[in-house]
Amino acid sequence: MKQNPEFLINEMTPHLHRGPDWLKAMRRSDRLGFNEAELPPRGIHLWRYTDPIRFMMDIDTATDADFTGALDAVVKAEAEHVKEGRLAALVTDRGGRDIDVQISPAGLPQGVIIGSLSDASESNFDLVKEHLYQMINRKSGKFEAMNGALWNDGIFIYVPDNVVIEKPVHLFREAGGENSATFPRLLVIVGRNAEVTLIDEYGGGSPDRNKGISFSNGAVELFGSEDSRTRYVSLQRYAPAMNSYFTHRAKLKQNATMLTIPLVFGGELCKQSFGVELAGAGADSKMYGLLFGSNRQHFDNHTLHHHSAGKSTSDIDFKVVLKDRALSAYTGLIRIDNKARTCEAYQENRNLLLNPGTRAETIPELEILNEDVSCSHGATLGPIDEESIFYLKSRGIERNEAVRMIVGGFVQSTFKLVPEDLKDRLSDFVATRLETI
Amino acid sequence: MTDKSPLFEFKDVHVEVEGKEVVKGVSLKIFAGEIHAIMGPNGSGKSSLSNALMGHPMYSITKGEAYIKGESILEMESDERSRAGMFLAFQYPLAIPGVSVANFLRAALKSHRGEDADMSDFRSLLKKEMAELSIDPAFATRYLNDGFSGGEKKRIEILQMSILNPSVALLDETDSGLDIDALKTVSAGINRYHDDSKGILLVTHYQRLLNYIKPDHVHVMSDGKFIKSGGPELALKLEDEGYDWIVNQTTVGA
Repeated sequence: MKQNPEFLINEMTPHLHRGPDWLKAMRRSDRLGFNEAELPPRGIHLWRYTDPIRFMMDIDTATDADFTGALDAVVKAEAEHVKEGRLAALVTDRGGRDIDVQISPAGLPQGVIIGSLSDASESNFDLVKEHLYQMINRKSGKFEAMNGALWNDGIFIYVPDNVVIEKPVHLFREAGGENSATFPRLLVIVGRNAEVTLIDEYGGGSPDRNKGISFSNGAVELFGSEDSRTRYVSLQRYAPAMNSYFTHRAKLKQNATMLTIPLVFGGELCKQSFGVELAGAGADSKMYGLLFGSNRQHFDNHTLHHHSAGKSTSDIDFKVVLKDRALSAYTGLIRIDNKARTCEAYQENRNLLLNPGTRAETIPELEILNEDVSCSHGATLGPIDEESIFYLKSRGIERNEAVRMIVGGFVQSTFKLVPEDLKDRLSDFVATRLETI
Repeated sequence: MTDKSPLFEFKDVHVEVEGKEVVKGVSLKIFAGEIHAIMGPNGSGKSSLSNALMGHPMYSITKGEAYIKGESILEMESDERSRAGMFLAFQYPLAIPGVSVANFLRAALKSHRGEDADMSDFRSLLKKEMAELSIDPAFATRYLNDGFSGGEKKRIEILQMSILNPSVALLDETDSGLDIDALKTVSAGINRYHDDSKGILLVTHYQRLLNYIKPDHVHVMSDGKFIKSGGPELALKLEDEGYDWIVNQTTVGA
């Protein structure tokens, strides 16, 4: 698969012809959206740190996804969790080709739908049509349109009104190996006073740049109805030679709450955007992110909290740890509309640099169009404290272990914010990544 | 006596901080069972000496030798010095947010023993030592020194010493910031730790700690050098007369 700044999506691409007519029309619209859009300008914040050409993959030259089985053990372990009832369901999505659903012996509550998005676009026509592409489409940007045109199959989750899914649902998305391109897509609709926890994991990809890179461009749309409670963990642990682009958008109605936890660990180049619109009074969004970068990893993350309704609240804590020559750019936008009075919005980005040669950028953006709000943002950026390392070393602890303890301490304040039942899972994910730091 | 080799020894040690020489050639032998006190006015180089001996990255030993049980420490990393039996109780212990006292001590103990301590053994050891030092058990799960008062930090330093049980303890101004009750508790902890196999080097500005911990030898440090050594009576004289007489005497003599 080659990079091609002139790449256009061919009308004959088979993906464009999947699904019912309305869906084909949307795909065609996004195809034109992609083809007609210029490359994003480098002068704006969002593209200052990442060259968009790196996502201009000529997918006509991509090879079929090759699933090496490297992640079979992970899937198997998760399947055990389903059997033992620790997960409500496990959905495996291999390169958008096969969507497989395993459900815990206890079963799912009445009316819950978890499965293939393609299937749902036929069997739950109205529901899907009403929501899919509503937040992520050709108007969102060139690469969002690329996903809209080219996703093959995705995952659809529907939780009816007043239904609570007690245990988490794990979505396991596996990308192909070298020279493959995947376009994961997810649509989630959480009904009134309904509750769900999702662990949306992204893995796979090329392990070795010399063999070729792999490409992933994902899109996630989540709708939180009135009084709904959604917890969404995005776990990105791609293989080292993956270039990924990812867009997440959520919309919360009155008194809906959402906790979003981006865990950003893998790949070579990773550009992600997490955005929540607070569209009803009493809506509350919290985003607690952790990013670990090493080697020459390049991360470019955006968060967006858009308060379109008054009396809504939001909080962001995004922590970054960098080692070797890793780079992280973080852009956090808080937008409060003129009509959205008495909102509260907080944002903090902390960066811990483990050695010289790393680079962190932090760009807070505030667009606050009325005065009747409480809003704050903060950013810190600094090297790991040598005196702290010395203190631990003076008690016999080796340097590497001391660094891991201090990094563990740095992220501990995030764990304090995480609900009790998710803590163990999340600390396992973090500990696995930390071992390589 | 002469065939006994010292537990801890340093010879002609010079220390630089940011290019400035602050310790200008000091030597000392500490034999097992001995308590030495280094006293001196502020800025005399006492703390620099103890930090440098522990391997603090800001303090470099530019000249001299130092040995624990005959083994040279100057090429060792700080963690190796600790595992070789050295301990420094800090004057201003740092806070390590997010790392609990118990986890920290467990990691330290593991590094010394080369294996994880049995969880229930560790818990009972910790509980016992905390009780001896009148530390509220709730501190075990608090983040190390994070929001602790000066006195609490000093107790936690002594707690670490009790648990790691080093051969040689350097105690840097451990008495500062302590009220009289805390001073008694901390001193009792130090005395409990001390036996015939241990060496202690107390670094202090005031003599009041020496009311509770009896030194065998007292060394007066000024301008980076030991200017006088003697027995415990020297500390009492300093308490009564201050440092001026001795500093002036040395200046005249020099």
